[in-house]
Amino acid sequence: MIKFVDATKVYSNGVVGLRNVTVKIDKGEFVFIIGPSGSGKSTFLKLIMHEEVPTEGEVYVNGYSVHDMPQSEVPYLRRSLGVVFQDFRLLPNKTAYDNVAFAMQIVEATNREIRRQVPLALGLVGLSKKAKAYPNQLSGGEQQRVVLARALVNNPAVLIADEPTGNLDPKTSWEIMNLLEEINQRGTTVIVATHEKSIVDAMKKRVITLEHGEIKSDEQKGSYFNED
Amino acid sequence: MNTERSRVMSRKDHTSMKIRTVKLLVKEGASNVVKNKLMTFASITTIVITLFFLGIILLLAVNITSNIEVMKRDLKITVFLNIDVSPFQREEVITFIDGRKEAGIVSEYVYISKEQMFEDMKQILSNDALMKGLTPENMAESFEIKLTDPVYSEEFIQQLSALSGINKDNGIGYGKEELDKLEAILKVFNYIVMAVLAVLMVVSVFLISNTIRLTVFARRRQIEIMKYVGALDSFIRWPFIVEGLLIGFIGAVLSFLITSQAYSWLQHVLNIVLTNFSLAPLNVLEFGPVALRIFVIYAIFGVIIGGIGSFLSVRKHLNV
Repeated sequence: MIKFVDATKVYSNGVVGLRNVTVKIDKGEFVFIIGPSGSGKSTFLKLIMHEEVPTEGEVYVNGYSVHDMPQSEVPYLRRSLGVVFQDFRLLPNKTAYDNVAFAMQIVEATNREIRRQVPLALGLVGLSKKAKAYPNQLSGGEQQRVVLARALVNNPAVLIADEPTGNLDPKTSWEIMNLLEEINQRGTTVIVATHEKSIVDAMKKRVITLEHGEIKSDEQKGSYFNED
Repeated sequence: MNTERSRVMSRKDHTSMKIRTVKLLVKEGASNVVKNKLMTFASITTIVITLFFLGIILLLAVNITSNIEVMKRDLKITVFLNIDVSPFQREEVITFIDGRKEAGIVSEYVYISKEQMFEDMKQILSNDALMKGLTPENMAESFEIKLTDPVYSEEFIQQLSALSGINKDNGIGYGKEELDKLEAILKVFNYIVMAVLAVLMVVSVFLISNTIRLTVFARRRQIEIMKYVGALDSFIRWPFIVEGLLIGFIGAVLSFLITSQAYSWLQHVLNIVLTNFSLAPLNVLEFGPVALRIFVIYAIFGVIIGGIGSFLSVRKHLNV
């Protein structure tokens, strides 16, 4: 579960990332975070990942108090989150299989667990056949699937996706979105920040709209507001 | 919420690293050495050069010290008897020196009689007009005495001077004061060596950490990804440190090989020079006896420089 209580983030250069945001996302939800550039989407996700800490207010993620936690605990918070980025962020010198296995080595899983879980995760995202390929041998959609497999392999409670389809064509974007929905149906909380109006409108999920760092609307089965 | 947390909170298991993880991190570090050829080459070169200088300075110091020791041990005390010395007085001197020899203070001595001195003079002056009028009777008998350790010299000379047969006017020849001065200079030299070594250390740590920082910078993306996936700092840091340690060790081995070759060649050349200038028993030491010591010093320095270098350079990038 994720809870923001009156959370405000002002960057050191004076830019306001978020202003007095109070919101709660329950376990198992699928939530879109939308809004124009600079509206606070990234800040919202960064606070969840403890990439930034709120200047005021409280942020709770999976039982951790992000606003007040020792640096040494941060890795454990991150292990409870799966993260997907617009620009993939795969290790270029490792195969798809090794990229996914790497996430398990970090949490010191046994080799047996790794040999069992990695093929499962790659299978889930439909990439079993490309396990031995390096990132530069994969298409954008395939790379994003590897990232998804990496994000899922440790069974995180929450999956965070920051513009996951930003670099993908519409068809591939839908494939990734369908995967995210499938993952959500298996019980994982999914939070997606996106610009893709058509996808948001079609999927009929909870939509949190941010503007100037504040929550403009928060609707179940919401749709993309016209920005004009 | 509790179930969510309990799954990811098996924190106690992670406080100490598992053996399999240690293996993984060492492997990762070793493979980085092979993969990042350019940076490995640059770092190793830096370490080789640093250690080479270190070795040359050390070997120089060792050689100077040992040669001073040799010179000290080789010092002869030359003492003349009065020309009109009586057999009893001569016997007294011999008895005294023999006694010191038994006490382990004198290592050896040579007695030079009037006749022998006369022959020696003839050799030196070679039938010159100066020899006219000189007879063995004009010559003074003398002793050339070697001590087991120069520290005994003062007391020994003092006691010897007290004997009545000894010619005190010419003084007793001994070059210890000069050597003492030399030793004092050597002490200063040693301090300078230490200072130079300290500077070398700092410079090479700086160079190594800079070189490794370049790779860390090149891999900051990788570090960032590791952090997002929830890697502990130690997990990120260790491969880099292993890399630094390995580079340090490889650099030490290479530098040792180069030093031993260079030194053996230098030793050969210098010893020929010393012999030709008849400066024996001065000599440049063999590399063999100091090889192990040099290698250990190289290995320790190399590993420390490499380890500290990578530790420093990775530290900065860990705060993501």
